[in-house]
Amino acid sequence: MQLKKRGKVREKLAALSAGLIAATMAAQVEKAEAQSYDTQYYQSLFSGKNDDFGPGVAYSQIDAALLVYSEKGGRITAIEPTLDLAVHGSKGELLNFELIADAVSGATPNGAVKADILQTFVTPVKTPGTSATVTSASGGATIIHLPGQAAIRQYTVAAGLLPVDKGFKDHRGGFNFGYSQPVGWLTQLGFGAGYSLETDYSALTANVHAAQNFNSNNTTVSLSLNAEHDTSTPYGGVPTALTVMDGTWKAGKSKTKNQFGLVVGLTQAVTRNWLMQLNYAYDNQNGYQNDPYRILSVVDNTTGEPLKYIYESRPEKRTTQSVFWDNKIDIGPTLTDLSLRYFKDSWGITSKTAEFSERVDLSSRFYVEPSVRLYQQTAANFFHYYLTNAAALPTYASSDIRLGKFTSVTYGAKVGYALSGRTEVYLRGGYYSQTGSGHPADAVGQLKGQDLFSGSKSLFAFAGYTWNFH
Amino acid sequence: MTAMAPVENVVAPAIQRSGRDTLFLFHAMATSCELRIETDDTALSERVAVAVEAETRRIEQKFSRYRPDSIISKINAAAGSAISVDTETAMLLDFAAQCYALSDGLFDITSGVLRHIWRFDGSDRIPDKAEVAAILPLIGWRKAIWQRPFLTLQAGMEIDFGGLAKEYAVDRALAVAAQITKLPALVNFGGDLCVSGPRSDGTRWKVAIESVERAGAMEGMLELSQGALATSGDARRFLLKDGVRYGHILSPKNGWPIENALRSVTVAAATCVEAGMTATMAILQGKHAERFLKREAVQAWCVR
Repeated sequence: MQLKKRGKVREKLAALSAGLIAATMAAQVEKAEAQSYDTQYYQSLFSGKNDDFGPGVAYSQIDAALLVYSEKGGRITAIEPTLDLAVHGSKGELLNFELIADAVSGATPNGAVKADILQTFVTPVKTPGTSATVTSASGGATIIHLPGQAAIRQYTVAAGLLPVDKGFKDHRGGFNFGYSQPVGWLTQLGFGAGYSLETDYSALTANVHAAQNFNSNNTTVSLSLNAEHDTSTPYGGVPTALTVMDGTWKAGKSKTKNQFGLVVGLTQAVTRNWLMQLNYAYDNQNGYQNDPYRILSVVDNTTGEPLKYIYESRPEKRTTQSVFWDNKIDIGPTLTDLSLRYFKDSWGITSKTAEFSERVDLSSRFYVEPSVRLYQQTAANFFHYYLTNAAALPTYASSDIRLGKFTSVTYGAKVGYALSGRTEVYLRGGYYSQTGSGHPADAVGQLKGQDLFSGSKSLFAFAGYTWNFH
Repeated sequence: MTAMAPVENVVAPAIQRSGRDTLFLFHAMATSCELRIETDDTALSERVAVAVEAETRRIEQKFSRYRPDSIISKINAAAGSAISVDTETAMLLDFAAQCYALSDGLFDITSGVLRHIWRFDGSDRIPDKAEVAAILPLIGWRKAIWQRPFLTLQAGMEIDFGGLAKEYAVDRALAVAAQITKLPALVNFGGDLCVSGPRSDGTRWKVAIESVERAGAMEGMLELSQGALATSGDARRFLLKDGVRYGHILSPKNGWPIENALRSVTVAAATCVEAGMTATMAILQGKHAERFLKREAVQAWCVR
């Protein structure tokens, strides 16, 4: 400053200061127009009429992203565009709207175990009354029309390969809507609703939530109540649990499931740089839980050869509980996120999740965020890779690996670049790998030589664009 | 009425007579606030008082870093994302940015994070060097992206208008009063003050300057007929350790109190914002404060 010309700072400062007061007064007069300078006018400053001079308003946001997901080995491929809108009002109101669409196709394990012979599966055709009079190929399967019977779909799986149904194809569209605002002594009170629709499944959700800040906003306690009503309308009708899979159309068209849950949350700013969140969630589900397309192999107790394929059966009731602990630690140019989750349900599954991510700002515009997630779960008490003919059928049985014992690891990374003060583009990619033991100790016959684990490995990538606006 | 009272409570202010003036006192911006109008028309004074108090509380609420709903809190909580600010905030940010440039980075609205480690309560709790060094990366207006109307701070950075808001409120209060009446008026918020012009008989307003040694005691009497006065200094906000006095004005460059700073400086200028900013910049000059004031031909009263 010493180098500046004599009196220059004062001159400049005088002009700036006078300009500041004159300009803010002028801007405000313009806004107020014909209003007189009485109490009412000043109250109008607080009622939002005088937008430019009221309290500042948080920025609203649009986020558009595209997710591409691909499982190894030609299994599921999905493309999912999403659009997210969050609008902040001047008095703490928040409006959320989310649109999702996805297209899923590929092959999905049908639940049967591998065998050392060629396996043939039959299912109902997707559309009843398919009038194929000749045999035709469709999705790697063959449609067979037998005189006097409905058409059936048949597909074969070579010896030693994991049985998958390649006819899997679906589209989904959905939206979520939410609104919250301060009400009375509550910091936030809100509600939300959502609906999603697939060809064979629909879900209707609703929630109410409230949050209260304490301790000069360092502590937030929240409660959320959720309800969900799902309807499953499988192709070919609803199969009866534990009956043999065949190509006939089943009488039941659809089944429903209801779900009620609550989440109690505590968010605490421990220090200026450390934000901690603790959530407890309880969920009670009642209704149709089965995967209507999923089967189990019933094998010969000595040879391990498949005898028949029966539809799976899951209990109608399921209660789940989980505790989630999240820490966000902001040190200098990095933001660390470390979370742990413990989950337990009435089906006998317990799981533990640990997730770590580190956001590093490489410049004021550019950041990278590598992450790793570790997951481990125990099997549901009715999980079986297969059933044998040695014993009577259990009441409940499923070979869905998502109910089995496995561990998984996800490696991911996100890079973001601020195009301007209000727009950002980001790319996020990751690799997910499930591992588990596919050689149960009690395997029989040919199954001793097969890896029964049907877990997947997949790659996913997001590309997104965030736009802040007023 | 407390400092946080909502504006809706501004009704029928208590107007007193004080010699030739009507006097209205209220408490806001953590200090006592005074409005003096040379008239015996209490109804008129009441209208002015309501407007002045409402304007003061509006500024206090809008720019308070303690209120979670203030624009400052929103900016500071944005954690790296852009916040769009209104016209008034943008004007203040422009002003602060220009003062940053004018003072070669000595006046910096991002230096407020230092208050997390420096608490000027008259005690001897001095932060250690490591604490100060750890917080320095969060300071520096040049690290902020200011593209009107969008302000993006790096996560962890904060801004505040602590060195600006009170003086701004004084100028605005006087401007608001002037829109209602042309009668001579004085606005004084805890020693930062501004007058509309000379008294009606052409004489000056008399203002006492508080002693830096004893709270409440008078250092002297100033008289002014136009413009504003603002005082910056460590009258009661300091730390004392091993005989060294650490004043409350911190250098954004190294995170430590300005060395050899003036104990107090009172500056006269056309507006309170200018007077306050000049006083702050003078203190930031450390031992060169007097030289700075002289070179700039500033009318000032210094206490070393």
